[in-house]
Amino acid sequence: MEQVSALLAKYEELTGVKIVFQPTTSTQYNATLRAQLDGGIGPDLFYSRTCEAGAELYENGFNVVCNDIPGVMENFTDVARSGFTADDGNIFAVPFAAVSHFVYYNKAIFAENNIEIPATFEDFLAVCQQLKDAGIQPLSNGIADNWDILECVLCGMIPNYITAEERVAYEKGERKLNDETMLRVFTDFSKLVPYLPEAFASIDNDNANVMFGLGQSAMLIDGSWSYGTLAGDDYDIEVGFFPIPAPAGLTQGFSLHPDFGIAGNAASTHPEEVKAFLTWIASVEGATEAAKVIPEGFLPLINADVAPEGSIISAMNAVGEGKPSDMRFVWNMRTLYDPMVEQLNAICRGEQTPEGAVDAINALWEAELAK
Amino acid sequence: MMAKSKTAQAFQGSKSIKPGGVYWVRYILPALAFYVVFMAYPMLDSVRLSLYEGTAGVRQYVGFANYVRLFTDEVVSKRFWNAFGNNWIFFAYHMILQNALGITFAAILTNRTMKGRQFYQTLIFIPCTVAVLVTGYLFKMMMNPLWSKAPLAKIGLDFMIHSPQGWLGDPGTALSAVSLVSVWQWVGIPTMMFVAAFQGIDDDLIEAASIEGATPWQQFTRIRIPLIVPVIGMVAIMTFVSNFNAFDVVFAMETLDGAPNYSTDLIGTLFYRYGVAGQHPVGIPEPGVGSAISTSIFCMLLCGVIPVLVKTQGKE
Repeated sequence: MEQVSALLAKYEELTGVKIVFQPTTSTQYNATLRAQLDGGIGPDLFYSRTCEAGAELYENGFNVVCNDIPGVMENFTDVARSGFTADDGNIFAVPFAAVSHFVYYNKAIFAENNIEIPATFEDFLAVCQQLKDAGIQPLSNGIADNWDILECVLCGMIPNYITAEERVAYEKGERKLNDETMLRVFTDFSKLVPYLPEAFASIDNDNANVMFGLGQSAMLIDGSWSYGTLAGDDYDIEVGFFPIPAPAGLTQGFSLHPDFGIAGNAASTHPEEVKAFLTWIASVEGATEAAKVIPEGFLPLINADVAPEGSIISAMNAVGEGKPSDMRFVWNMRTLYDPMVEQLNAICRGEQTPEGAVDAINALWEAELAK
Repeated sequence: MMAKSKTAQAFQGSKSIKPGGVYWVRYILPALAFYVVFMAYPMLDSVRLSLYEGTAGVRQYVGFANYVRLFTDEVVSKRFWNAFGNNWIFFAYHMILQNALGITFAAILTNRTMKGRQFYQTLIFIPCTVAVLVTGYLFKMMMNPLWSKAPLAKIGLDFMIHSPQGWLGDPGTALSAVSLVSVWQWVGIPTMMFVAAFQGIDDDLIEAASIEGATPWQQFTRIRIPLIVPVIGMVAIMTFVSNFNAFDVVFAMETLDGAPNYSTDLIGTLFYRYGVAGQHPVGIPEPGVGSAISTSIFCMLLCGVIPVLVKTQGKE
């Protein structure tokens, strides 16, 4: 909140236009925004979700079309824009920030046990086992929240196994979701289960963060957005991070998920001001200002080096440097989200095999495509 | 004849009050207007909405398609009947446990030999004054093995923690745990209503009964309980309605998905997911399906409430 206020203050200083920020709690954001737009009392500018969730608002006529906003075409990559492109090819928001998923580790615990950052998934499992043998809880992830086990853990792993093109092939049904590659992903996922905390079924994302922050676990697989909290004043641990390692023989990928853009309200009573702000935020100048105040762990989508030197953004970008990156696997297959969470939960509980899980997911997607 | 014309004369003095007229309408107008604008209209509009598809902007009339989907679509109907069944279990816990406890507490509190009545009455009522989100979150922490196992083990009470999954992490126990927290929190309401009802019973009746040789148990079952049947009926209806509208306790303790594995999913959370928020992570709500859920539940509630009303009310 402070960060957004700082950005808006800077903008006011530059242009004299005052933008009022009215935050909601994050879990209520979609519902609140939707209710406001439906009721005709929507804000002039709003954060836009990516893919279908964002496009759906555009299809209902709520968004200013951003195709001709200067900078949108020049300053962003196709991948960044693709998250904000509707089926009809129009761009419904200025791409703003992406998130990634990392394995956070407690530097002190790693040092005490002479553990090096694992280079392969096999090494990673060996580290987990070594920690477990030493009586240290390896991971603090749980399943009680029904999202992080899929979004951070599984979707964090998948870019190590497939490319963006292959993801599209799965979405189109050209590849089967129970093929060898997917089975391998789920099998590798199931190998992590013994290293989850004993009470994983009761542990939600907050619990997992607190547990790691208090030094009760050596590692946590979570989103880049958690870095600010984990490394912040709440906890006195030293936090490092590395990407979920790829299995030996596969190319290390980088999970980079376009997370939000800035959209203008088509029904705004200040259309000129809205366009001016979108233009500013799509410019290198505006993005540089934004990068200074963007919450830690969010990576600017603009195709320019806007990260302040020595910032955590640079460090995270450096991890992804030169690696094939892709968005979260399930984002364009939204009907699979809940079933995938269910299957992962079942695997964790020992009620499902990786084979059974991929078969079930594949059957659902084939049925969906047949519709 | 005389008396009648006298009465008529009395009314002639005032033009506004005529016997048999509809002068009373003006007294209920404010409440009626409020009820129509904020209750009846939205309710009827949501029935209309259940016949449409899409969100504002592009809303399309689809007839009963939302209902067909609700009851025949594999995923939606599975969720609906699951939530419906869970809701009955949730209701049963309240109806049986909360109201029986309420009557017991009320009987004890209205016992004339009871000492420190005010104190206990306050104690029982305090949880009702705390926000559900607060109690829900506190119990969530208390029941989480991650936080409570070690402290409880120190005093030898760790058997109370359902390890390793925790009461809220095990699909087999989660709904019971959530229900019991809700029972604990709300038991004060029926207690207060039953206390008031018991206090309304004429002492002469009890005295006469004890002179006739009725034991306290007989007095309780044959006199006091039958005399408060209308209140029991009212409490039953209130429990029924509020339980089928329940949402917050699950939201606080088990997320909007009714985790784990939809085992605590209630009609309220299901409705919210479909009708208001949209399914995570996409967040595209389907107000039509949401309205179909709420309309179906409204009809079902009505079928449940009317017989209870007919049976228990008007037996003063």
